[in-house]
Amino acid sequence: MAAQPALADIPAASSTLALNTLVDTIERLSSARTVADIAAVVRTGARALTGADGVAVVLRDEDRCHYVDEDAVGPLWKGLKFPMTACISGWAMLNRETAVIPDIYKDARIPHDAYRPTFVKSLVMTPVGGDQPVAAIGAYWAAERTPTNEEIDSLKAIARATATAFENVRLVNSLTETINQRDFLIRELDHRVKNMLASIQSIATQSLRSSESQEAFVEVFAARLQALSHAHELLTKRSWKHADLKELSAAALAPFSDSKTGRIRIDGPQIGLRPETAVALLLGIHELGTNAAKYGALSQDGGTVDLSWNVDMGAEPRILTLDWRETGGPAVEAPKAKHMGCKMIERGLPYALGGTAKLDFAPEGVTFSLKTPLSERVALT
Amino acid sequence: MKPRILLVEDEALVAMMMEDVLEDLGWEVAASFADVRPTLEWLEKCDTLDGAVLDINLGAEMVFPVAEALRKRGTPFTFLTGYTAPPKAVEFETPVLTKPVDVDELERVLERFRQAA
Repeated sequence: MAAQPALADIPAASSTLALNTLVDTIERLSSARTVADIAAVVRTGARALTGADGVAVVLRDEDRCHYVDEDAVGPLWKGLKFPMTACISGWAMLNRETAVIPDIYKDARIPHDAYRPTFVKSLVMTPVGGDQPVAAIGAYWAAERTPTNEEIDSLKAIARATATAFENVRLVNSLTETINQRDFLIRELDHRVKNMLASIQSIATQSLRSSESQEAFVEVFAARLQALSHAHELLTKRSWKHADLKELSAAALAPFSDSKTGRIRIDGPQIGLRPETAVALLLGIHELGTNAAKYGALSQDGGTVDLSWNVDMGAEPRILTLDWRETGGPAVEAPKAKHMGCKMIERGLPYALGGTAKLDFAPEGVTFSLKTPLSERVALT
Repeated sequence: MKPRILLVEDEALVAMMMEDVLEDLGWEVAASFADVRPTLEWLEKCDTLDGAVLDINLGAEMVFPVAEALRKRGTPFTFLTGYTAPPKAVEFETPVLTKPVDVDELERVLERFRQAA
């Protein structure tokens, strides 16, 4: 091989130009924000710096090489993909080594058929990224010639700057996504807090209307707030996607089931409720429990509450039937005034779940029955 | 005769409270719904309606088809929302109340409905 001029031997004017070109390319790479930007800077910068007849920018796409961009005297392979094992860019990336080829038709690593339609007779192909190359830059000449050390070093310098640029783009994208996610979560949180405040406002105003004294208000309001907080807990458990009917019912009736087992029975298939529906359901069942504990089956020994539901799979859409049945309690008297508790049961539950409901103060024991088609609000899970 | 109002709100708790509040403010709640479809069906058969309160986000859907129907029949309405009002709501050039609702503000909005009738 003939001695190549060292960078120091090159006339001052051309080495200043080379330096300026390199600095300019690196500066533009540092402000690139997309992969397309990077490719555009590299194809012209690398060609100016090496004086090559053409430059191609190749990206690794899993096990293939994707020729994404080029700047050349004639067409190369822009837009095409080749298996990594069948092209020199793949070889450079897999071996983490720069390929210097003075005569491509004498080198077995080159797929000659792919090159024959092009002007290329010699090339340098350098990988981008030290440990795990994600790309490669190829410089091509239309004559058989030995590439100079200066040309090879220039290409490698650009490759190093390109690797940094790719990493920057990856970081910026990752940061942007994190910021977007954070903003979304902040908006969701704001929405949920506003919803909770609206729920509390509703519970407070309705409890106030139906409470005969301040003490009565405080007691009933506190109990309902607890129930609301349990509903939110169950929703948070599943990231506010839905809540389970059985878990909601158990949480609603937990304050009324002391150590006496068997007094409350809850049974039915797995049903998921949307957040707003879940809150209404828990509060409604809580009211049924409150009434049962004050006046009904849970106010004395031997009383039982049966809460069960089933889905009629044959119907279209499928129908959910939910039944509350009290037995073994004292003789039932219908309440004189409709207060918030009954409203929550008779109006709130069907409003939230859909369908129709009936609250019946039968003398043997209070019953409540709700029938609704399954929907996006109430679904089998 | 009391003026009639329509309520569209997907949260049962808020709906029940709004019904009480609207009645306190002298309105008759003609109907309340949690979804768009039953609301539109009801509107088709409704003769007199003097106003409406519409929650913007109804879970899986937005209330805008109802807003459109009300605009066509010339019934005044206000939006109610727990989010910031989306651009589509602003297009209607109607009041937008935020949850939890400020009853005084609601009263002022409803008063304007009464006067417009």
